[in-house]
Amino acid sequence: MKSNTLAIGFGALAVVFIVVAALYALGVLQILTSTTSGPHIKHAILFAVLAIASLIAANFTREKAV
Amino acid sequence: MTLAQALFMGLLQGATELFPVSSLGHSVIIPSLLHWKFKQSDPTFVPFLVLLHLGTAGALLVLYRDQWIAITRGFFTAAIRGRITTEPERLAMLLLTGTIPAGILGVFFETRIKSLFASPYVAAGFLVVNGILLLGFELLRRRAERRAALDSKSRAEQEQSFGQAERISFVAAALIGACQALAFFPGISRSGVTIGGGLLAGLRHQEAARFSFLLATPVILAAGLVEVPQLLTSGVPVVEYLVAAALSGAAAYASARFLLRYFRSGRLDPYGWYCAAAGLISFGLLALNL
Repeated sequence: MKSNTLAIGFGALAVVFIVVAALYALGVLQILTSTTSGPHIKHAILFAVLAIASLIAANFTREKAV
Repeated sequence: MTLAQALFMGLLQGATELFPVSSLGHSVIIPSLLHWKFKQSDPTFVPFLVLLHLGTAGALLVLYRDQWIAITRGFFTAAIRGRITTEPERLAMLLLTGTIPAGILGVFFETRIKSLFASPYVAAGFLVVNGILLLGFELLRRRAERRAALDSKSRAEQEQSFGQAERISFVAAALIGACQALAFFPGISRSGVTIGGGLLAGLRHQEAARFSFLLATPVILAAGLVEVPQLLTSGVPVVEYLVAAALSGAAAYASARFLLRYFRSGRLDPYGWYCAAAGLISFGLLALNL
């Protein structure tokens, strides 16, 4: 499915994931974590991977010039 | 943990990791049956198991080195181009799709599931569940073979009627990946549920095993990268554990080669029966404290 709107959506999602990853890495975000303080590297890595996957999805869904 | 125990655990983990019989379940049950005194709830036990898993991941990287080079190249090519044109590119994207659900479930539910980890009774129970799952996968596969009128053909011909890993859908890859999360329960086999998922997605046994092994590698590596620093800072005998990890890798390599040959025509049934029986016997022995 090719759509620039969808691609922008995935791009925006990637930005959100990057922000969430940074917040987990800095220890600001503590949602769904086993401890309530300190950085959460596993969560940060997960959201960084999700950000990369979203960027790839954005690239796949954007309309390309033939 | 003594050196002999660490080496035994390495051999056990490597030999059972790729077989669909739950290495984690065996690593929890067998030391309890042998009345070994080291605590499985000890904070260094999980990182030790992860180190053994890294040995397995290393074995898989060696076994599939050519494919991983093609997959890595295919991943970057497809990601940058925004289009899939070759089979390695498709396989790379399928593996990414399959890894994401396992990663999400692992990160958010790992701690809660670990609370069950220390109990060999729980592991024995899940080993029985694993056996039932494997037998169920084969039951569904035989039904699919009957529907396709393949039951009168030879096993090799039956297998040829099913597909290659690169041909499955992205939804199927995501579902198979999500199945990996079941392996956080000690007793449920990662390779068992992912091979079973592959069979349900219409793959040949050998291809389902290949997809399972490829899918396991990034998850095991990622888990290792996160957990191993804990092992290095906790004052445990790292050199002995590394030897155990090497032993684990060697056993995993031999297991993978055996399984890929076995699954040319073999089924999951023997492993299903083994898990059900081993789980029940272990439960009985633990309950009787023999």
